[in-house]
Amino acid sequence: MKKLPPLGNDATVRLSRQGGVTAMLSRPREIEFAQCNLDEREQICSLLNGCLPLTSADSGRGDQRFYQIEVRFRQDDRDDQLMLQVPEDQAPGELVRLWDKGQVS
Amino acid sequence: MPSQGLHPGFIPPYILHRLIDHGSEWQRSRALNTLSHVRQLLPNPGKPGQAPVVEKAVPGTLQRNVYDAHQLTVLPGALVRVEGQRASGDAAVDEAYDALGATHDFFWQVFGRDSIDNRGLPLAGTVHYGEGYDNAFWNGAQMVFGDGDGEVFQRFTRSLDVVAHELTHGIIESEAGLVYRNQSGALNESISDVFGVLTRQYVLKHNAETADWLIGADLLTDKVKGKGLRSMSHPGTAYDDPVLGKDPQPAHMRDFIVTQDDNGGVHLNSGIPNRAFYLAAMALGGSAWEQAGQIWYDTLCDNKLDNDTDFQGFATLTVEHARERFGATQAAAVHKAWAGVGVDVT
Repeated sequence: MKKLPPLGNDATVRLSRQGGVTAMLSRPREIEFAQCNLDEREQICSLLNGCLPLTSADSGRGDQRFYQIEVRFRQDDRDDQLMLQVPEDQAPGELVRLWDKGQVS
Repeated sequence: MPSQGLHPGFIPPYILHRLIDHGSEWQRSRALNTLSHVRQLLPNPGKPGQAPVVEKAVPGTLQRNVYDAHQLTVLPGALVRVEGQRASGDAAVDEAYDALGATHDFFWQVFGRDSIDNRGLPLAGTVHYGEGYDNAFWNGAQMVFGDGDGEVFQRFTRSLDVVAHELTHGIIESEAGLVYRNQSGALNESISDVFGVLTRQYVLKHNAETADWLIGADLLTDKVKGKGLRSMSHPGTAYDDPVLGKDPQPAHMRDFIVTQDDNGGVHLNSGIPNRAFYLAAMALGGSAWEQAGQIWYDTLCDNKLDNDTDFQGFATLTVEHARERFGATQAAAVHKAWAGVGVDVT
């Protein structure tokens, strides 16, 4: 299973709902950690850790929607990226709320 | 705050689903986690359509089971209409029943295919899935249809080609099993569009020239500036709307979209093989299912078609099948259709 690396001030999280017949309604949301306070960062990291076991390699199959989480961060002096795909029917409410409203609580 | 650990009993999944759909964010989250755990513990119940199965004696016999999710996201939901029962009076239920029947009839009459698995698998469809749900999908065992939000999209059972598109996803899984990513995923989407639109043309008795070649023409509300979800004849022109944006589908390999969104753009780059099919159907003329559709169907069912094939690999096989079944003239027409979208056939 993938592991979430330590996320610092330079981390960004791009969150979108993808796939399906209406794939054009992905409404991507980008969250910059530099704009978040410590509590918000901890809540987002907790949420992302909770999503790690929910990811599925065949997300999207047959027009099933899924949430795509792209985490961009800097580690060992180089840019890196982690991508997670969580099937819609497995998505935690907090993830849906973060995508839909941009709120972590 | 709910008490914890006081009642170690088992919470039925339907209550968990109710919490997921109607509970607070905290309740929804906990219920989702619990349901996920419960799913790991429960034995596989089998395909949803299996419960009312009757023994089938005659190949090609249709067996439909339509369920109502009652705006929840529990599958399959309550069984509301089985094969042979009269119309329920619920538009979504009856549209799903009719569209599944029309799709089954199309594949049986035109290609001699007996349902999704070619062994008469009963067709299961659930309507009224979720609240204002803007999607229709195949989940590996059944088809599922949302009611739409009413502002942009209407209920998804209105569109015969979309119902047939979802059923075709099941057929593709039974045949080539095309991986739902990158070019093989775009082919998966395109083939579903091809047989979706052909089902509609067959029912309406349209030929290649008179057909509109649109996917989801019945889905958009009057408020949307568009004519459908996708155009197979002119990908990239289906809509241009403040809410939906502009249809981004490419029609040629020079505009192929490289992206990590949408499983590598499976709903985007499908415009390229979609247009190739349209060009082939127009060149061959007449009813598009008779020659172009047959060639694409033969290709889909060919064991030589790899599940991770690219456009070129699929195109090469279509030319082979055109030659084998119809002859050199048809093979040349299919070859030219692929060249018209920038796909070279080896």
